[in-house]
Amino acid sequence: MIRLEHATKLYGTVIGVNDLTVELGPGAHGLLGPNGAGKTTLLGLITGQLRPTMGRVTIFGERPFGNPRVLARIGYCPAADLLERRATPREWVTYLVRLAGRDRHTAVRAATAALERVGLGEAADRPLVTLSKGMRQRTKLAGAIAHDPDLLVLDEPFVGLDPVARHDLVTLVRGWTTSRSLLVASHLLHEIEALDAGLAVILGGRLVASGDVDEIHALVDCLPAEVRLEADRPRRLAEIACTSGLADGLRFEGPAGLAIATHDPRALAAALAAAAVAEGITIMSLAAGDRSLEGVFDRLVQLHRGIGSGAGPRPAAPAGLAAEAAR
Amino acid sequence: MNAGRGILAVAGFPLRRLLAPQRVILAALGAAFPAGVMLAVRRIAGDLDRDFAVVLLYALVPEALCMLGLLVTMCPAVADELERGTWQHVSVRPGGRRSLLLGTFLAAVTWTAAVALFALALALLAAGLPGSGRLAAVFAALIVVSCVGRAALFSLPAVIVPKRALVASVAAAFVVEYLAGFLPAVVNQLTVSLRLRSLLVRWMGWERALPAELQLLIDTQPTWVHIMAVVALASVMLFAAGVILARRQFPPAEEA
Repeated sequence: MIRLEHATKLYGTVIGVNDLTVELGPGAHGLLGPNGAGKTTLLGLITGQLRPTMGRVTIFGERPFGNPRVLARIGYCPAADLLERRATPREWVTYLVRLAGRDRHTAVRAATAALERVGLGEAADRPLVTLSKGMRQRTKLAGAIAHDPDLLVLDEPFVGLDPVARHDLVTLVRGWTTSRSLLVASHLLHEIEALDAGLAVILGGRLVASGDVDEIHALVDCLPAEVRLEADRPRRLAEIACTSGLADGLRFEGPAGLAIATHDPRALAAALAAAAVAEGITIMSLAAGDRSLEGVFDRLVQLHRGIGSGAGPRPAAPAGLAAEAAR
Repeated sequence: MNAGRGILAVAGFPLRRLLAPQRVILAALGAAFPAGVMLAVRRIAGDLDRDFAVVLLYALVPEALCMLGLLVTMCPAVADELERGTWQHVSVRPGGRRSLLLGTFLAAVTWTAAVALFALALALLAAGLPGSGRLAAVFAALIVVSCVGRAALFSLPAVIVPKRALVASVAAAFVVEYLAGFLPAVVNQLTVSLRLRSLLVRWMGWERALPAELQLLIDTQPTWVHIMAVVALASVMLFAAGVILARRQFPPAEEA
């Protein structure tokens, strides 16, 4: 369904997407990456707003840029807020459906149905400027689904939504994936997790990992966390860490700093604390590294750039993961 | 058929924006300006000479007012969409870019022509000229020709340099319409201003009375030639703008 072959997008000297090769079949897919990773550029290539500088992008077997056959089958909900002021959600969504080539009556019917579906039926005739960000977000989603596309592409769809609205939207989008395809870009793993989607992790415009949620969790688990501490005798604590069998690697940071890579930060912290008490070592600070997705992103960025591997080994990527970070 | 629906859908949106109270007040002030000038001239000079009044009316309505109206309505065709965060919604629709261009063109021509026709009615009342009915018909036709030709001209800067479209359009108007348009050479055949002047002279029956040096500034071809020339010019410019817009890419950072 979505196929990118060595797709590269350059903005002058700035790289948006870098030599990306991936094939996504029908179903739900999540695109994960921190801000600035190239997600929106990648979606721009997929939705036919941008042309690859090099390589090839095909959607439903055809190039999407300027191709009405492909565009008619795509619904896109961009991340940028909708700043249209005077129009109402009904007018806006009707307008978008008419742009897709439907006559006025069909467009009004489709818009009304889509607005009901996203829970905006009662606010459908209020000017957009009077709506909350969450309601405008729903309006954007209604605009994306109203013409009944085969592929729904959502860029950061949950930003600005309260938990209830987020839950409603997740339910709606999950319902969508039962019959059609979905691609959601987000920087939050749990948002994608809730959609039961396959995952692709993008960093610096490159695909660094792909798989299902379990595989990404396995990647999180296999990545060592970093325990950082400051103590009056860091070398002694380094010895203790090495002999405990819990350290995967370590490095000294200044005269008092020590960073230890470990797969079991809680056990290591307990061992170090016990040793410090037993030997009278003063620990000024001790903090475990972040193992959340942001932490994984940070780690992957470091590996991607070829730095930061001194405190531990590279992640042993589970089977099925692209793990291009090592490149 | 589908393209027509998209164009009409787009045309409705800018027209609704233009009907905002502030915009309507500004348009009304603009429309009152030619009438104000006519009244001021009448107050100073007494009864107006008919030919002088016609030339003044021509300079104020089909030239100045139409130009200003089109600058305001046609130039932001793409820039407005980028600023409002609506470009991505429109550009991912099949034929969305073309509909945006032609729909905005339609809205710009409709709005500007409506304001100019209102201004013409006020100005003719203020001038108090005999035979105002015929003058109204002549100027209404000139207004439509001016709006179609100039809106197409301004569509090019609107798609080539969306964020500098206003400045670029003023420059294009000056260079194309008022520099090339007044050159007694083949190049002025490619301007709307030559067609407008020539139509005015023809419809007012001034061909023979015009001094020889001013004859160089008009073209004595039949009316249909001028109309077809403007239609052809507008079609070529809109086609070029459509091709450019279809190929335009806006990086995410340029939007919103």
